Parts: sequence; structure tokens; C-alpha cells
Amino acid sequence: MSDDARNAILQRLEAAVPRPLPSRPALPPAPEKALDRDRLQALFIDRLTEQAGVVYPVADPVALLETLARILAEEQVARAMVASDEVVAPLGLADRGRRHGVEMVTPADYPDRDRYVRAVFDDVQAGITGVDFAVAESGTLVLVHDARQARLISLAPLVHIAVLPAERIVPDYETAMAAIYAGECRPGQITFITGPSMTADIQGTPFKGMHGPQKLIVLLLTQT
Amino acid sequence: MPTVSLFIPCLVDLVLPRVGECTATLLSHLGCKPIYHSEQTCCGLMAFNGGHRDEARRLARRFIRVFEHDPLIVSPSGSCVHMVKQRYAELFADEPAWRARALALAPRVYELSQFVVDFLGVQDVGAADEVTVAYHESCSTLNALGVSAQPKALIRAVRGATLKEWQGADVCCGFGGTFANSFAPISSALVRQKVAFFLESGADLLVMCDPGCLLNIGGYLHRHHPDKQAMHLAQFLADRLPDGPARDAWS
Amino acid sequence: MELTTARFKETAQVELDNARTQKFLRLLPIRLSARRDAAYRSFADPEAAHAYGHAIRGEAIERLPELLKTFEANAEANGALVFWAADSDAANAYIVDLARRKGARYVTKGKSMITEELGLNDALAAAGITAWETDLGEFIAQLLEKPPFHIVGPAINIPVEQIRDIFMARGVLDTPTIDPVTLGRAARRFLRDKFRDLRMGVTGVNIAVADTGTVINVENEGNIRFNKSSPRTLVCVMSLEKVVPTMADALHMLRVLCRSATGQAAGAYITFDSGPRREGESDGPEELHIIVLDNGRSAMAADPHTREVLRCIRCGACLNACPVYGKVGGYPYGWAYSGPMGQVLTPALRGLADTGDLIRACTLCHRCKVICPAGIDHPATLLYYRHKDVQADPQMGGRGRSAMERLAYWGHAFVGSHPRLWRLFARIVRRVANRHAHDGTISRITRRTEGWFSSRDLPLLPQDTFHDRWRQGAAARKPRKEVSS
Repeated sequence: MSDDARNAILQRLEAAVPRPLPSRPALPPAPEKALDRDRLQALFIDRLTEQAGVVYPVADPVALLETLARILAEEQVARAMVASDEVVAPLGLADRGRRHGVEMVTPADYPDRDRYVRAVFDDVQAGITGVDFAVAESGTLVLVHDARQARLISLAPLVHIAVLPAERIVPDYETAMAAIYAGECRPGQITFITGPSMTADIQGTPFKGMHGPQKLIVLLLTQT
Repeated sequence: MPTVSLFIPCLVDLVLPRVGECTATLLSHLGCKPIYHSEQTCCGLMAFNGGHRDEARRLARRFIRVFEHDPLIVSPSGSCVHMVKQRYAELFADEPAWRARALALAPRVYELSQFVVDFLGVQDVGAADEVTVAYHESCSTLNALGVSAQPKALIRAVRGATLKEWQGADVCCGFGGTFANSFAPISSALVRQKVAFFLESGADLLVMCDPGCLLNIGGYLHRHHPDKQAMHLAQFLADRLPDGPARDAWS
Repeated sequence: MELTTARFKETAQVELDNARTQKFLRLLPIRLSARRDAAYRSFADPEAAHAYGHAIRGEAIERLPELLKTFEANAEANGALVFWAADSDAANAYIVDLARRKGARYVTKGKSMITEELGLNDALAAAGITAWETDLGEFIAQLLEKPPFHIVGPAINIPVEQIRDIFMARGVLDTPTIDPVTLGRAARRFLRDKFRDLRMGVTGVNIAVADTGTVINVENEGNIRFNKSSPRTLVCVMSLEKVVPTMADALHMLRVLCRSATGQAAGAYITFDSGPRREGESDGPEELHIIVLDNGRSAMAADPHTREVLRCIRCGACLNACPVYGKVGGYPYGWAYSGPMGQVLTPALRGLADTGDLIRACTLCHRCKVICPAGIDHPATLLYYRHKDVQADPQMGGRGRSAMERLAYWGHAFVGSHPRLWRLFARIVRRVANRHAHDGTISRITRRTEGWFSSRDLPLLPQDTFHDRWRQGAAARKPRKEVSS
């Protein structure tokens, strides 16, 4: 019985005589906090690039859509799965894609979970998502998963294209997490993404796209 | 002229007495008065490392009784100093009176190079030789005592001597006390690797602060590379003092 | 998982003689150590960051019962189901039963040492359910039925030819190749099929956050994300010491964990799960089961020495720092955990009876202690285990040492307590040892010292000890000639 086990485990742990808690040394404030917006953005780009992410700064939504179209053509994407989050939803990608011969689908286009899962695994060559935060300290994208941000879109397709409004770049994890957890409802899942899927498990030979995306492309929207 | 009590490890006493003599010589040369308690035996390190704590305590109590009235205690062995300075407190965890005596003793115990550089404030002991030296960072000395800058400063200050930066300086030589015997294939692989690093360094001489490492590396060199030499820091410095090869401390 | 720690020396010898193992050991630990050092330098104050991590883990192990209760309450408030498992059998039975209820013919696993510890794959197999390892290295190790060689690269030492052959035999690969990338792609396709139709995934947990009821996993491949996103049922197994007080603490531990493990500022993917998917989400688990595993850890907490071992965050930095691991690799350590991490964990979890070599296979170099981001004093712990073993401590299953060894140490202490006897003893040792000398060198003494002399000589023991020389010098009060060098 779990309850019996629980009580027995806790009893044993409570019987252990606790020692004084160790004191914590002073940590200097994160140096990223002292950076202005431009330098924070530059740092984010550097750090993510080190981890094999590719960042394209784009000045405005028009430039963003042009760059996106170019990337989709380069990656030979015929169909892409798009999240419904507040960053990408307003871009009207479905219409745009049609004009460029790319079919844009969302999870809502599928009648049930199983068919959505099959589609995101097998039928799309790219996943396009917004980003909730980006963390400069490690070049990390933060995705908060909810009804508008499905988990598999940024994972199952071979290319993940993330749209990041520049003002969402924050210095450190703490800033992002404090904002996320400030809300009433805790998200079921938060994902930190720092580069494409990687492994070096065979002979130490590194390669990208082991299980998840082989390419992580960030469209950094510098003006909105 | 501080009086310094010599803490001579068993290994030095029995196998490497010259290291003890050179320690005394160096300290005399630097204006100290070395004294030696002839009733000292063993600090209990080997028993402690073997898990035989009753035996280690017996030896440690004796060590404390012999040395606890000395204001300064110096030993040419990083591992033995670590035992007395840092392990005694744990050894006597259940004996508050002895633990207190051990803790009172600990700050007065120094590894030789630590004593010369940190306590005496000397780096140039006045030695001279045209020689290229590689310094072996003995694990107890480096990782447990945090002593590394001191011996290197002493070597650098020897006139004519060159201290090599080399790959593998802080790699374990595989001694580990009884480990060297009971895990011989692993220990041998480690000392072989250590010596390979030393040979690559191109240095003439390998200098270190621990008699355990010296026995191990020296013993390996003797068998496989008899033209190469390993030496304790005390001997390296004392042999190169201006009045020629070291004289005894009490001369 | 079968415990093969008793064959430490035997397996170590095999690995010492294996040129391939030696080749990888010359590269991997050194490369990972260098990357770790470089990554640590990116901290504004590396020493403070290191010490801060020690303090978090030190606090966590003192507050375990309280933190676990808080974690449980918050995880349940998030909608997770928390199950407390006293031991491997209880955890395995829960997972097997759940898999059956969900109609899962197979489950996939994210890389986790904890499920190795449970022997979960065997338990599932016995119930007719296949467990697929999905981390590439673990997948290869599983197909070859090998334990992990290194916590970060479980199969990094396996020759490509061997991977090709097993992949061909198991239908992972269609056309033979030894190209690592093509082999990896084949594994991707094979495992992707498993993820797509997955009913139940199983992962470990890197960090659990008491304040938020969140479980956190770190990885680079994305297999854990698939395990957490694709199936409708997710099981996360956490050993009970994984809990930290706050999210801020977890974020700091993530920084030191990623840097210590792979030299990255952050792993490619870090997932924070607070309960199952919420209403309206397209994917993610409908049920999140969190198993809090004891398996001997609450007993470890009772003893302040073994409690210290519960600090461990399984980063593997100690493997890369360890000279012994650097010569023998992961196999000799004989259980889920290798290197110094295994040397402190395995004896505490599985007892001292079969781990006598594990606790002694250490040169006490202290590098593991210096590098440990959790603040474990591995050498002190091993010395404590040796002490318990000598005492034949019943709680830890200590065996006691041979009468010969006990007599030797007793004699050493007895003689060492009587200076005159000590001097006499020194003379006897000298006489015995020097009897074996040839040309001023001792190259063997007795069979008991064969190990030393297998690669090393001893100098002829000088005719007078330091003690003798000091006395003679004091008597003569004049310069003496060189005696020996």
C-alpha cells in the first residue's frame, strides 16, 4: 500500500536527526541583468548560435514573412504545423502559406488527438511556434505549453521555426519563471529549448536531429 | 629563530631518511631550530585509510600527546599532514576531549613548502642549479590541503632552475597506499601514465611533496627508466644550497 | 539490475586489456572535464556558484520529509498522482500494473539511472511488456545487453561495427553501414514509430521542486520530451532525494548540473512538468504518475555519513575526474551507478557484502570531492564505509576483514604505541626486506606484495632510519658524510 509505504518512509526520514542548514554564500547578481536591450539581444544570439541554433533578426512582420517564406522554400517544406499562440496566430500564416504553396495546419484541423499526432509525426516538415520568453544567459527559448501551444509541434518535425519578439528576451531564467508562475494557473509543461536535438552517443560523433528537430531557426522580430 | 618540531612519516623514517634530513637541513638553513621527538611513531594514516579506526585512534592519541605542546610542527608529507589536520577531527567524532585536542593541534601542523612560504614568508631559499624541473601535484597536497603555489614558488626561485608547465602535472600517480598493491593493475596503469606525461614534459627531474608518490613514481622509474629521477622537494632544495650538498641539520 | 560489483577486479582487468576501452578513456573524461571547466568559467563567480549548489543540496537532505510532503501536496494540487514506493518491487509492480491497465504492449523510457536501479526492463519483460530505451546510447546498450559505460555516453565505447550488426539483427537498419550519423538516423526512425503510437512513457526525474510540485528533466536528444508529450500516460520515477525547496533553487541546480555533466550552459531540452496536460491541450499526458522511490534511501538519511551521499545529482562529473574510472570505465562498477558516484551510492543502497572492492578502488586523490557540484566528500565516505566493513557493521552488511589483516593493523598500532618496539620492528622490516635485494634494489619480497612489485622497485632500505641518523648526529655534533640518496 502506498499509504503505508508513504508513512513508513516519512517516519524513517523524520527520525533522522537534522543538522543545522548550511548557510548560502552570496551570489553576485547575474551579469546579464546589467545589459541594455541591444546587448542582451546580442548575447542571446551568441549563446544560441554556440548551441547550433540559427537566428535571423527581422525588422518587422513583413520582413518576417519574407524570411519565413525563404526558409520554408530552402527546407523544402510542403506542409507545416503552426501553433495557435499569440505570437504566430496573428501572422495569418495559413493565407500566406497558400500563396507560397505551403500548407499550414494547426492541431485544431484534426478531428482527434491520434490523427493530430500522426500528422505532426509524419505529414509535416516543419513546426512553427511563438516563444514565451528567451533567456540571454544561455540562449534558451522558453515555451509554455497550453491549449494554444502544443508540445509536439516544436519537437516532432525535422525543422522547428520559432518566432521571437525581441522584447521577450530576458536576462535570466528567474525572470522568465517568475513571470510564468505569477499567474493563477501553473502550466502543465514548460520547455526550455537551447539548440536542436543533439547526440554524440555513437563514438562521440556529434550529430543533430537525433529524435527532435535537426534545425532550430529563430526569427527574431526586432520591432512590433 | 622559531623552534620547529619535525613530524617524520614512517615511510620517510624507514625508507627515505634523506628526505627527513633534508627537511631538517632546509629548516636550519632558513633560521629555524628543528627538534625531533624520538618517541614519535606513526600518525595512523594507514590504519585510518584501511578502515581500522580503533587502531588509528590509538596511534593518533599518541601522536597528539607527543606533539601537542609544540608551537610549530612541520612534515615533508602532504598526506600525513592532511591526516592530522583534517581527518583527526572525524576520527575523534565521538570523543569530544580528544577531538578538542586534535582541533587545537591542527592549525599548528604544516606541510613543509606551506610552512616555508606561508609561515616563514620565504620563496628563495638560496638554492641554485641549472636544471629543468617538473612538479608533480600530489593529490593530498593539491586537492586535500590546497597546497600547490607554494612548492612551485620555491622551485621557481631556485637560481638557474626552470619550472616546466606540463600536461598531466595534477594527474594522480596511482599510489593510494595499499591501493598500489591490492589494485596493482590499475595502480600500475596510472603510474605508467604519470611517467609518460613526465617523459613528454622533457624535464630533467620530477619533484614532489609526498613520500608516497615518490616511492611509487621513483620505484617505477627505477625499473623502467633508470636514467630519470624523481625527488622530494626537501631534497631538491637542500642539495642545491650554496654550501654544496646538504649537511645534516645538526651540523 | 544484477549486482556484479563482486567482480570488480576481474572486469577491470578485462577493460585494462581492451584497447578500445583505453582509447575512449584517453579521450572522453578529459574532454568532458575540460568542457566542464570552461563552462564553469561562464559563472560570474564560479566558486560561489559551486558553493551555492552545495548549500542547496545540503539543505535539501536535511529537510527531506518536510520537502517531500510539500512536493506531494503541490504535485497533487497540480493534478499529478503521487505513489510512494518502498523498494524496487513496489515501484515495478505499480508500473507493470499501470501499463497493463492502459493496455500498453510496450512502453518507452527516457534515459534514467533510476529505472536501471529498479531493473524495470526485466520486470516489464516478465509481464510480457517490452520496454524500449530511447536515449540512443541506452538503446544501443539495451540491445547489446550492456550496462552503461558512462552516464553521459552509455555506449560511446561500442564499436560502430557492433552497432551495425545488432541494428541489422534487430531490424533497426535496412542496409549495413558504419556511418555513425546513418546509424543514428536509423535509430531515430525505429524509435519514432514507438513514440507515435505510444500509450505510456516512463522517465526519471533530475530535480523535483517542493514549492511548485514540478518535476524537471534535462536532456539533449528530445527522447524525454517525446516520452512526456506523446503518450496519454506518463510515469516519472524520482528517488526521494531529488527534491529541492524552491524553483529558484532548481534553476541554480540546473545551471551547475548542465555545466558539470556536459559542459553546456543548458541542455538542449529542459522540461518542467507540473501535473498532466490541462483542459484543451492537443497533446501531453492525461495522467501523470510520480513515483517517489525510497529503496534504502530513508535508511541512508538516518546516518549522517550516508545522508551526505543523498546530495548526489547524477551529473557524472566525478567519473571524468576519477583516475580509476579513467583506466577501467563504467563496467567494473557493476550496477546502475559507476565511478565515484557509484562507489558512494552502491554500497549504501546494496550493502557492503559485495562491494568490498568498490569501497577500496580509490587512490583518495580527492578530485571527485573538489569537482562535485553537490558537495559530496567521496573520499571521506569511502573511508567511512571501510570502517563499517572492518567493524562488520550489521546494518550495512559489513563482512569484517580477515583475521590476518586485523592482526596486522592491531600489531601496527600496538608496536606504534611503544617507541622501542617500533624501532626494533623497523630493524626487522629492514632485515626482511633487504634480504630480497639484488644490486641495491628490492624487486620482490613476498607473494602478498606482488602487486607493488609488478611494476615498481623499492630501494634498499638504508642501514639507519631517520631516527638513528638524528641520534647519531646529535651525539657526534659534527658534519657527516652522505649516507645514501
